[in-house]
Amino acid sequence: MFFENVDFSAIELPPTALKLREEVRAFLTAETAAGAFTPHLGHSEFDAGFTRRIGARGWIGMTWPRRYGGQERSYLERFVVTEEMLAVAAPCAAHWFGDRQIGPSLLRHGSDYLKERFLPAIARGECSFALGMSEPGSGSDLASVRTRAERVAGGWRVTGQKVWTSWAHKAHAFFVLCRTAPDTGNRHEGLSQLVVDLKSPGVTVRPIAFMDGRQSFNEVFLDDVFVPDELVVGEIGQGWKQVTSELALERSGPERYMTTFPLLVELIRRLGPETDARAQETVGRLTARFWSLRRMSLAIALALDPGADSEAGTARASVDLGTEAALVKDMGTFFEREIIDATRLLVELEPSAESSDRFERYLAETIVCAPLSTVRGGTTQVLRTLIARRLLGALK
Amino acid sequence: MNTPNDVRLMLLESATRLFSEQVNDKVLAAAKRDGWSASLWQTLEQAQLPLVSIPEEAGGAGGTLSDAAAVLRVAGRHTAPVPLAETGMLAGWMLAASGLTVPPGALAVAPALDADRVVARRRSGAWQLSGTLARVPWARIASRLVVLAEGPDGAIVACVDPARCRITPHANLAGEPRDEVALEGVAAEAAAPAGAGVDRDTLRLRGALSRSLLLAGALERALELAVEYAQQRVQFGRKIGQFQAIQQELARFGGESAVAVASALSAAGVMERGGDALLAVASAKIRTADAAREGALIAHQVHGAIGVTNEYALHHVTLRLWAWREEFGNEAHWAMRLARRTQQQGADAFWPTLTAA
Repeated sequence: MFFENVDFSAIELPPTALKLREEVRAFLTAETAAGAFTPHLGHSEFDAGFTRRIGARGWIGMTWPRRYGGQERSYLERFVVTEEMLAVAAPCAAHWFGDRQIGPSLLRHGSDYLKERFLPAIARGECSFALGMSEPGSGSDLASVRTRAERVAGGWRVTGQKVWTSWAHKAHAFFVLCRTAPDTGNRHEGLSQLVVDLKSPGVTVRPIAFMDGRQSFNEVFLDDVFVPDELVVGEIGQGWKQVTSELALERSGPERYMTTFPLLVELIRRLGPETDARAQETVGRLTARFWSLRRMSLAIALALDPGADSEAGTARASVDLGTEAALVKDMGTFFEREIIDATRLLVELEPSAESSDRFERYLAETIVCAPLSTVRGGTTQVLRTLIARRLLGALK
Repeated sequence: MNTPNDVRLMLLESATRLFSEQVNDKVLAAAKRDGWSASLWQTLEQAQLPLVSIPEEAGGAGGTLSDAAAVLRVAGRHTAPVPLAETGMLAGWMLAASGLTVPPGALAVAPALDADRVVARRRSGAWQLSGTLARVPWARIASRLVVLAEGPDGAIVACVDPARCRITPHANLAGEPRDEVALEGVAAEAAAPAGAGVDRDTLRLRGALSRSLLLAGALERALELAVEYAQQRVQFGRKIGQFQAIQQELARFGGESAVAVASALSAAGVMERGGDALLAVASAKIRTADAAREGALIAHQVHGAIGVTNEYALHHVTLRLWAWREEFGNEAHWAMRLARRTQQQGADAFWPTLTAA
C-alpha cells in the first residue's frame, strides 16, 4: 500500500547526525544570543548574511559531491540541519530553494558547466535562486505554462510571465519552466527548464504584497530575454520529467510540518507547569502527531539517501516514494494548522503582529500565513488526487 | 536504505500466508460466538509465531521485539481472533524476563487496567494470589494466566491456572473475551520476583504498543476493503471511486493508515533499543487511536449501508478498531501522561526530548 519495504522499526539517526545536531544547536544558540536574526513564522525569511554564515559551515548543499562545494554527507544529516533551523525559525529563504530544489536538479540533469558555475556558489551561500513555475493561468496545472522560448543563434529568447515567485526581488537567478515546442497534444512534452539571470535585460520583477503587507511574492515578466545555450538545464523537451523527478524530497521534508512548530514550544512555555486536563490532552496529542509525522519524513529521507558509494549525490532513483511524500505534505500542513487552533483555544488573547511578546507575535504570524502551506508545493486537493490514484489504480 | 532484513521478510511472509489461509469470514463469525479460534491458535503455535521475541532458552522462538511487532501488524490486518499479543509480547516477556519458563498454550496477562491489583502472599513455601481483575483479555480461553502481583518485598510474576479463578465472562465491542477474574488465594504454579525492567509501567507500555500494532494492521485492512468496494460499486452510472468526493476521503484514509503503521512500528524499534519508550509508545497509541476513529468512519461511509451489516466483513475490522483504541489507555490517557512530562521538563526541553536519540 504505502511505504512498502520500509522498516520503520529500524529507523535511527547515526552518531554522526547526532554530533552534527549539537554543532548546529550550538551555532543557533550563539546566533540567537547575539540577536543575529529575529525569528518570524509564516514566511520563510530571506537573510543573505545568515545564509553566508550557514554556507561557511558547510550546511548548504551538504549532501552534494565535494567537487561541487558539497560535503558528501547523508540525507539524514541534512534532515537534522533542516529541522534544527525550523525549530528556531531561522531565516533560510536565501538558500532554501538552492539547497532543496535547484541543487538536486542541477546534480541530476545539469551540465558540468552549470554544476561548476552554480553549485559551489549556492553551497557557499553566495548565490540565491528562486523558482519560476506558476503563471497567471497556470497554478496547480503546471503543465499548462505558456511562457515560451524561441530558438535563436547561441540560445533562446524567452517571453512570458511568472507569478508567486518567492524572493525573486532578492535572488540572483531563477529556474524557468517554459514551452520550447508547440503543444502537440501531449502537454508534458515540449517543456524545458532554463536558468535565467534575474539581472538579464528584459526581466522585470514586481512585488505582490501579502495580506499582512509583507513582501515575499513577486510577479516576474520576461520580455524577449536572451538565455544562452549553456543555461539550459538538462535536455530541451524534458522539462516536465525533470521538474517532477525531485518531488519526493521536496514534499516530505520537515519544512512541510514544522513551520508553526516554534509556536507550539511557546505555547508550552505560556501554559507553564500547572495546566488543566484540556491543555494536557491537546499538547500530548500534538506531540504524538509531530512524532509520527517525523518518523514518516525520516523514513523517506533515509530511503532516498544515495549512500556513501554514490558519485552523483542525487536521490536514489530506484525508490519511488512520491505518493508517500504527498501523504507527508498533506498531513503535515494540516498538523501545522492544528497547532495554531490549539493555541488559540487554550490561551485566550487577541493576536497581535506588533506585540513585543514572542508568543503573541508568533500566533498572529501563523494565523495570517495559515492558508499558504496547503497551497504551495502542491495543493491538498492535488495531493489527495495523486494519493487516491495510487490506491484505486486507473478506474474505467 | 532501510529495508527489512531477510529474517524479518521470511517471518512476514509466513505470517501473511498463515493468516490469509486460516482467517476468513467463517472463522471470524465462529470466533464471535466462541470467543476465539482454537484451530487458528494451534496452527500459530506450530509455526512458533506466538513466542517471537521470547528467548529460546525460556521456551520462546527467539527474535526481536520488532520481529514480534511485524507479526502483530499482520495479525491485526487479518483481525486474528487469538491472544497473540498477550502470549508473547506481554505474558511471555514477563515470564522470560523473570527467569521463568513460558508454558505452552495461549496466555492471558494481568493487570490490564491501572486500577486492578493482585496481592501475592507466601503460604507454606508457595505463592498465593488474591485480587479482583475487572477486565482480563482472553482469560476464559487461556490455558494460563500470567499475573504481575504485589508481593511483600516487591513485584512478583506468577503463572496461575484460570480454572482455579472465578471468571465472569465479558467481551469487548468485537466480542473478544475481556473477562472479570477473581483470585481468592489461588496457588501459583510458578512464580518469581519480577525480573529487571518488569513493572506495571512497562507492562502498560507494552500493552499499548501491542494495541497500536493491531490497530495499524486493522486500519490497513479497512482501507483495503474500502478501496475494493470503491473500485466495484456503481452508482449514477459510474464506479464510486471515480467520484472526487470519494477519492479525497480515501486519500485521507490512506494517510491515516500509513501514519498508524509508521508510528506503531517505529515505537517497537524505539522500545527495543531502549530509547524514550514513553514518547514513542504514547505517540503510537494516540496516533493509531486517532487514525482508528477517522479510518473506521471513512470505511463505513464509503461502503454505505452494506458495511454495517452482520454478514459483510467490514464490521469485524471496525468493531476491533473501536475496541482496541480504548485498551491499555486511550488517546486522552496517553496524551495527558505525555503532556505532564512535557510540563515538568519545561518548554526548552521539548525539542531536545523530541529529537533525543
